Amino acid sequence: MWWYVAKRLLQTIPVLLGATFIIYALVFLRPGDPIVGLFGDKPVNAATRAAIEAQYNLDQPFIVQWLLFLKDAIVFDFGQSYSGRSVNDLLAATFPTTIKLALMALVLELVLGVLAGTLAGLRKGKLFDSTMLVVSLVVIAVPIFVFGFVMQLFFGVKWDLVPPTVGANDSFKNLLLPATVLGLISFAYVLRLTRSAVAENLLADHVRTARAKGMSEGTVVRRHVLRNSLIPVITYLGTDLGALMAGAVVTEGIFNVNGVGGLAYDAIRTGESPTVVSVVTVMVLVYVVTSLLVDLLYAVLDPRIRYA
Amino acid sequence: MRDLMPGQQRWVAALAETPLKAVDVLDTEAPPESQWKEAWKRLRRNPLFWMSSVLLALLAVVLAVPGLFTDADPTFCQLSDSLANGRAGHPFGFDKQGCDVWSRTLYGARASVLVGVLTTLLVATIGIVTGAIAGFYGTFPDSIVSRLGDIFFAIPLLLAAIVTLSIFNNLNPDRGFWGGCLAIVFTLALFAWPQITRQMRASVLQVKNLEFVDAAKAIGASPRVNLLRHVVPNSLAPVIVTSMISLGVFITTEATLSFLGLGLPSSVVSWGNDISAAQNLVRSGQDLSVMFVPASALAITVLAFILLGDAVRDALDPKAGKS
Repeated sequence: MWWYVAKRLLQTIPVLLGATFIIYALVFLRPGDPIVGLFGDKPVNAATRAAIEAQYNLDQPFIVQWLLFLKDAIVFDFGQSYSGRSVNDLLAATFPTTIKLALMALVLELVLGVLAGTLAGLRKGKLFDSTMLVVSLVVIAVPIFVFGFVMQLFFGVKWDLVPPTVGANDSFKNLLLPATVLGLISFAYVLRLTRSAVAENLLADHVRTARAKGMSEGTVVRRHVLRNSLIPVITYLGTDLGALMAGAVVTEGIFNVNGVGGLAYDAIRTGESPTVVSVVTVMVLVYVVTSLLVDLLYAVLDPRIRYA
Repeated sequence: MRDLMPGQQRWVAALAETPLKAVDVLDTEAPPESQWKEAWKRLRRNPLFWMSSVLLALLAVVLAVPGLFTDADPTFCQLSDSLANGRAGHPFGFDKQGCDVWSRTLYGARASVLVGVLTTLLVATIGIVTGAIAGFYGTFPDSIVSRLGDIFFAIPLLLAAIVTLSIFNNLNPDRGFWGGCLAIVFTLALFAWPQITRQMRASVLQVKNLEFVDAAKAIGASPRVNLLRHVVPNSLAPVIVTSMISLGVFITTEATLSFLGLGLPSSVVSWGNDISAAQNLVRSGQDLSVMFVPASALAITVLAFILLGDAVRDALDPKAGKS
């Protein structure tokens, strides 16, 4: 087991290196001179330019810039943005909100998706099942920002159930609507995954055996059907937290949430390369850690899987 | 053999009493039906397949001759018509700029569907080639492809697309119709291929150990012939299904990118541009219908591709559908 964890941890190193390299290359390819942007209409003094270039390693070749970034990023020091703010501070100001938003979305989609998916799988072909299938298809087919606007208009403005925008106060109630919108698509996928897994597992031999031993239907479903059906769902959720944090670019824009998505979007638009690279690095890190956790969870859910 | 106990006897009527009927005849000479032919037989019995096919056929007509359904010019806009209600020849009214909503929706199909189809084709090609090589040859090619796939998979698609498209935007903001479409196709394909690669690799790993591959090897087929003639055609089924479903996902992603201002140039008539242009009308509660028409068209199109993918999956893998 520990050997497996160590091996998986080692495997994440090339992923992190490669992903930061790609983002660094993309940011580097972006045309435009960040220093000119700092000075606006004023002319840039040559000595000042040299000093700023040295501060941000812009005088170094691309590979060296990347390596210097990595050297600091290893100890979670993401340096300064071009506008002079510490990227760590920027992340600290926005990251907790986005994590909260993404986790709320994750819990919502997991609970509702598994619940609806299980009921649909147990009643395959009945009215509830068909309704849920239609709902999930519509949710996948309609672009998420359309849902965002419509739900904001009705729940936030017309019926006044929740605040239409979040702003500085990221309380549970304020984040409820953005989290619902953010988790909507994944809810549909979780529902579909759970439904087909439950329907398939209901016909499995071990379920027949459990029934033959006289277990109550509830115990059979909970202990034997659901536990097995959760494996594809957990796999999906493992890659989903990273996707949710990226999807927050859209949701946070609609609901005016002060989070990482908005930070990344603004940084990309204004060419704040240090911030862009740092945000993406953190998101890749989140993805890598969650997928490692999911791999370890398999062993708990499926006793057939053993890590030697 | 053990003696039969009472009640265990089986009485079978003599052949002369119940002769073979036509239904019992089995044509042993007939060639075995291919996987695809059998799948097609199941597919055409599925009403969902016909539903999505009709929708997609209709869509194809709209793509080819949008002028068939409207006389209005999508780029002819008069501010005096701003947000006007529908009237004869303009069934869904006008948007904020005074352009005909229905006409823009019909003409906008081209860009949106083109992006979806081209991205899917590119992603499927990259995925099938790399996945087949990784799965079939193993060892070194496999490590290269799998590690590269891990790296690209770890970067969130939407964020990577925003970064890449902002480069295109900076280089050349008005790329025209084809430039705009191809920039999105290239960007999405660059970060979306690992999913298909992983699936193809897994599928090839399964197929390459089957008996017919050994048989081909035994009669002297070279590894390359074996890969191209036997392994790849038999590994394609799951990849085709995923591709059809992801086609719809790419269309919505294009709309999302347009909403963020990084999709197609605003001069291009597309669903994504029209939906995002209508966002302020919805936010202010002024007018929902201007967004409703292109958004519905997009949703129906995506739905048709997902339903088709579902139907094809049930046809190719009857076990999953029957349960």
